[in-house]
Amino acid sequence: MPTPQILADVINILLLLAPTAAVVSLILAGINLRREGLGSIGAGGGFGKWMLWGAVFLTLTPLIGWFSSFGINTSLPAGTAASVNSSWMNGIETSISGFVMTFVVNRIVPTLAAFFVVRAILDASAGESPLLSVLSAMFLLSIGTTLTLMKSFNSGTQFATADVLDGLWNHLAGTILPTASALAIVGAIYNFAVKKPFFHLIAVALGMLSVTAIWKLVQAMVA
Amino acid sequence: MSFDHGILNLTNWVGNVMMPTMAVVFVILGILQFSKGRDSSHSLYGVFGCLCVSGLTRAIETFAAQRAFDDPDRFWMSIVTLVDWFGNVILPLYAGAHVALGAMRLAVHSQINPTAGWLRHFTTAALCMLVSGLLRLVEFFITNGTAGVR
Repeated sequence: MPTPQILADVINILLLLAPTAAVVSLILAGINLRREGLGSIGAGGGFGKWMLWGAVFLTLTPLIGWFSSFGINTSLPAGTAASVNSSWMNGIETSISGFVMTFVVNRIVPTLAAFFVVRAILDASAGESPLLSVLSAMFLLSIGTTLTLMKSFNSGTQFATADVLDGLWNHLAGTILPTASALAIVGAIYNFAVKKPFFHLIAVALGMLSVTAIWKLVQAMVA
Repeated sequence: MSFDHGILNLTNWVGNVMMPTMAVVFVILGILQFSKGRDSSHSLYGVFGCLCVSGLTRAIETFAAQRAFDDPDRFWMSIVTLVDWFGNVILPLYAGAHVALGAMRLAVHSQINPTAGWLRHFTTAALCMLVSGLLRLVEFFITNGTAGVR
């Protein structure tokens, strides 16, 4: 029995809205990075959770392909705007994605990032590190580029979600952390000058430059 | 706008713009601490650190690059290289500074007694030059200790 047109249109709309949902997930990840602090990066933390959902939404179609291997017939619609028959249904998708991209991403998110910059100054005035607020502001301002980066990791296979997460890990370990190691060195120098513990920051800098090696070390330990 | 460019530019700004400015702050703090008779050495060493951020970053990168990027021993080797550098480069410099301090104290305070400050400076200088030897000595004691009392 063929899928009723209304259902096919609803599925098409939901598949078309998946990248928009990924954008919203990234925004929530950026907010959680500031709200929960470094704990949000760990398992169960808000940042990690929303990044995972971002990857899932971005790779929804290949991920649903797993159902075929379970023996469940999933003849998905094409998931393109042209494949939605009802113009009214098509309008829903266009309106929602337009609202998210034009209003939320282009207007609200930069304002939110600017708020985090103010928050960074308030953090410093309270004697806390302003780094987390600045990082959250940077993350929010670079959501478009992050989404493009995640799309470039999408292999389109059944393993696409894992491929995106692997790619993000490689990007973090190979590009972001080596750059951030210099910040750890700056922190070590500052702590030394104001007579605070500093050696752990030197170890952190070395660790940031050796993430892949530490990963291999852990693998060798459990082998 | 990308996140990695943001981190890179933040690092460059902190290291090349803010830290040289902080060096001046630490000079002022060092002078104020000195005027009150407090220890000002951390502030004054901090000045050098603030002006050497790029050099120290390159040094840490060199320590971490002793093995391939996916070698499990990379982190350990980087710590070993850091300790080697500290023991064989920084401590001999520190020893030289203490020899000079000891000589100055000896010149100012002419009395010779074993509790005088000059002796502490010369002993510190000697210990700085003997880090590897002291370690070998402790290892020798431990090795003999495991063999039992003879």
